[in-house]
Amino acid sequence: MIEIAPQEWLTAVEALKADGFEYFDWLGCVDEIGRRDCLRVVLVVRNLSERAEPRMLSCSLSRTDARIDSVSGVFAGAAWHEREVAELFGVEFIGGERRRLLLSPEFEGTPLRKDEVLAARTGMNWPGAKEPGESDFSPGRRRLAPPGVPDPSLWGDRDASQTAPDPADVAESAVGGRVRRRRP
Amino acid sequence: MISSEPSHGWIRLIEPACTSCMICARECPTWCISIDSHTEPVEGLPSGARDRTQNVLDRFAIDWSLCMYCGICIEECPFDALEWVSEPTQPASTSHALVEEMVTRSS
Repeated sequence: MIEIAPQEWLTAVEALKADGFEYFDWLGCVDEIGRRDCLRVVLVVRNLSERAEPRMLSCSLSRTDARIDSVSGVFAGAAWHEREVAELFGVEFIGGERRRLLLSPEFEGTPLRKDEVLAARTGMNWPGAKEPGESDFSPGRRRLAPPGVPDPSLWGDRDASQTAPDPADVAESAVGGRVRRRRP
Repeated sequence: MISSEPSHGWIRLIEPACTSCMICARECPTWCISIDSHTEPVEGLPSGARDRTQNVLDRFAIDWSLCMYCGICIEECPFDALEWVSEPTQPASTSHALVEEMVTRSS
């Protein structure tokens, strides 16, 4: 994987295309919250005429100001991938197509960011919270938490006058499982 | 495509194989499986053996208004207690009626 700085993204892709990597394979994004405070955009191009390994470019972007140049002028097919990443991760592709691809126009949020919570589920009883041999939800036990639902003290019932929770803590508390892994 | 595999119409519980382990309910992405169970002492142990208990299934329900027929429950079940059936689920006039009680037993 070749790490590219955001300002060199477009020129790096153009250079690879000029170098024979003329087949655009895919473009995607990874939310690296919990490891690094960034969104990583990944692009793969191939050289179909030679037996060359595909080239994978990656670029890490700030989660609060995720902006990168669009490569749809170099590979027109990348526009769909960029539109998908734009609406699912909240990345702005400068000079790219701004229409939505998958989500409805009124949808708010960035569903594939890991600090995005399933808000409607925070008020529901999760069927999996029961232990084998139980018929009732027993709040006294060390609870098993469903994925996608953050710790209520962190996200739901907190005091509105307090500062907004850290996205990394929200993402960490929404992984689900037996133990709430909270930083001290 | 011709296949002998059943198509993904309906999910059936093979009740004798179910141990009420809750894995399907926890893995279900749509939260559509509800399970109630209780524990009972195992009868007929040899004398001197330590008392043991087993889970007894009281209720197993799938809410077909939530199920997206992904089959994760079938894949995850370690006891092969769930399987695909080709017949589609029964239609209903209310979403509540789409909750299918596969096992109902008062404990």
